[in-house]
Amino acid sequence: MDASPELIALAALAGVAAGLLAGLFGVGGGIVFVPTFVFLFAFDQLDAQATSLAAIIPVALIGAWRQSGEGQVDWRAAALMGGGAAIGVLFGAEVAIRLDDEVLARAFGVVLLLVGGEMLVRSARRLRTARATPGPADDPRRT
Amino acid sequence: MDVSARLRQGNLLPLVGIGVVSGLFAAMFGIGGGIVIVPLLMLVAKMPPRMAAATSLATLILTSLIGVVRYAGTDHVDWLGAALIGIPAVVGVLIGIRIQRRLPADWLVLGFGMFVIAIGLRLVIWG
Repeated sequence: MDASPELIALAALAGVAAGLLAGLFGVGGGIVFVPTFVFLFAFDQLDAQATSLAAIIPVALIGAWRQSGEGQVDWRAAALMGGGAAIGVLFGAEVAIRLDDEVLARAFGVVLLLVGGEMLVRSARRLRTARATPGPADDPRRT
Repeated sequence: MDVSARLRQGNLLPLVGIGVVSGLFAAMFGIGGGIVIVPLLMLVAKMPPRMAAATSLATLILTSLIGVVRYAGTDHVDWLGAALIGIPAVVGVLIGIRIQRRLPADWLVLGFGMFVIAIGLRLVIWG
């Protein structure tokens, strides 16, 4: 890998941005890491995905450890989901070979639009109600 | 009754199911960690948003480790590249958690909803 100072600085910026998303929303950062490796370092897709997984490890470890200190992590749920994910990855690889993944990706995109839209509407409605009746709903400690 | 108490009473299968779905999507689209886990934890397991995000990160420890082990021995993992972006990302995650702590849950859900819509648009447009 050819790493000039400019590339290192850009990668660091992308890393901080991905970390912010991870801390705020609980996503690992792959959504930022993979395109960064592809466009900045000219990795092919497989290298980018594999390297992204390695970059997620410290983020997930430190992030979960920090959150756990505040009692926010349900470790048993995490272990169950992690076990399930290991099974899912195996099946996913099989399914991906048999189906048109561009159509599937678009369908997944539509599902995300619906899920995201529902969250947006629900939270916006609650925020509007909270503004009409100021009270405990505005208190960050409630979360 | 708090969420972990409710989960302790049984209903373990939905959690495994959430994991399977996230693994499926990860293998099929390269997207499928937190973006699948967090909404499902809120909808299915009725977890509060902040706990869902934190527990998702804990799940990703396992899934990313398993993923890397799968690629270990191949030369697909560029460790220098991973460090160059992963170490700054640790700084980012600590800042993100500090911001999250001060943010009311509804604002968190609003922000996450916008993020999910952005990813959904990307998939719908570029496949």
